[in-house]
Amino acid sequence: MSDATSAHELVEHSFRHDYGRLVAVLVRRVGAQHLELVEDAVQSSLMAALTAWTSGHWPKEPNAWLFRAAYNRVVQDLRIENGRHRILHRIGETNADSMVAPNDPASVDEIGDDLLRMLFVCCDDVVPWESRVMLALKTLCGFSTGEIALRLFTSEANVYKRLARARDRLRQSALAVETPPLHALRSRLPAVHAVLYQLFNEGYLSFQGEQAIRRELCDEAIRLSTLLAEHPAGAVPETSALLSLMHFHAARLGARTDAMGGLLLLEEQNRSVWDRDRIVAGMEWLRRSANGAAFSRYHAEAGIAAVHCLAPSFADTRWDEIIDLYTILERTAPSPLHTLNRALAVAESTGALAALEVLEGLAPPAWLVGSYLWDAVLSDLHARVGNAIIAEQHRTRALDSAPTESVRVALHRRLKTRG
Amino acid sequence: MADRKYLLLQRGATEKQEAPSPGQMEEMYAAFNAWKEKYKANIVTMGGRLAPGGKVLTVSGVMDGPLIESKEIIGGYMVVATESYDHALEIAQGCPGLIRPGSSCEVREIMGP
Repeated sequence: MSDATSAHELVEHSFRHDYGRLVAVLVRRVGAQHLELVEDAVQSSLMAALTAWTSGHWPKEPNAWLFRAAYNRVVQDLRIENGRHRILHRIGETNADSMVAPNDPASVDEIGDDLLRMLFVCCDDVVPWESRVMLALKTLCGFSTGEIALRLFTSEANVYKRLARARDRLRQSALAVETPPLHALRSRLPAVHAVLYQLFNEGYLSFQGEQAIRRELCDEAIRLSTLLAEHPAGAVPETSALLSLMHFHAARLGARTDAMGGLLLLEEQNRSVWDRDRIVAGMEWLRRSANGAAFSRYHAEAGIAAVHCLAPSFADTRWDEIIDLYTILERTAPSPLHTLNRALAVAESTGALAALEVLEGLAPPAWLVGSYLWDAVLSDLHARVGNAIIAEQHRTRALDSAPTESVRVALHRRLKTRG
Repeated sequence: MADRKYLLLQRGATEKQEAPSPGQMEEMYAAFNAWKEKYKANIVTMGGRLAPGGKVLTVSGVMDGPLIESKEIIGGYMVVATESYDHALEIAQGCPGLIRPGSSCEVREIMGP
């Protein structure tokens, strides 16, 4: 372990979740205004752990060892900083040894609390929307700025800048300083749901990058959502529905590409390779989501994904059910994309002409008109009703605006066979 | 006007069960679907439906006290706002996610501050 860089990477990989746990536990104690200091302390104590442990000093209780090392460093760093008397006073009430160590089984709930609180901190109103996913990946999932940049298709400098700004904002946040009880944060649940949903979609919807790497984002989203769903502060029907739809989508992830990494459309996918365990988990969370007297967008999306997962084949899909759910989704979370999807379901259940009628009333925004989706759907529908010329025009535009080569290849295959 | 709030406590439903068969999965979906048909008009404005946390705290405190008589596990809970206890019961009975074999649901009115 002479190479510092490789040791650094090893820490990042092996201790990714320890990192998140330690950051959450310590931020709870010193406040999110010291987030950066806590992150540095955790990082360096993990490095210290690696050095000590790989030289044969394997501690009896690694978790407690890590916690004390990180905690001591935080205290030391806070002392070095001037004008922190108030914080030091607060910490002074306990010391590292008397604090419940994270490996103590009695404190598993407490760690869950801390992780969840950190998740709420990441979704604080003061943190700019586009930085929340980054902050969660950094603090809770233990990703480095480089890893985040790679997964979110942005530059490392941009990630660094956004994280710095987010920490600055947190310093001014009341939540960061006061650490209110979790139940008082319930009003922020919609923001937390939205961030988890976004985190999942960054991995699921993206056509770029390697699948294994994107999959990690989905796994992290599921891990954090499960934490939320199993905690009293987050166990609401919407959380169950969100988790349900994540499991259903994740079940199909492996089947979305062929052996060459090319994109496979839903109707081309081999359903036998869909992950059965994931589908069962999705169904279990769907059952739990059927609670209370309110229907959310996550319920609608989970329901749609469930119908697809239950269908033995593309042709045997219950399209009427999907149409109904998309109709609800359009009311819950209006988006022309949902109308477009409903039109596709209508095309399968009633016919292409009926689908075109659905789209007739739609005034699509510029971003949708300029996207390959819009043209691909119109090309397909017009081809099916026999408008060959219009279909060809849309086909050309769809192929031109395809975001990646694999999308273009899939479109080419689909629009050719239909046209 | 739904001015009263009720806590629905789900008990004893966290144990592992065998993986459901395709037929059972269909039943699970059917239960969801039936629930959907009942409430799909009642679209949640995200976050607006649940009682504010303070009221949950009141009950959470109680949960650690006399409510837990044995080692029963609270599988989940939710708060509904409705006009009467009977209606809260009705909602609880209509929720497949809340009641299933081996679990029960306790409905308690929340004494709001």
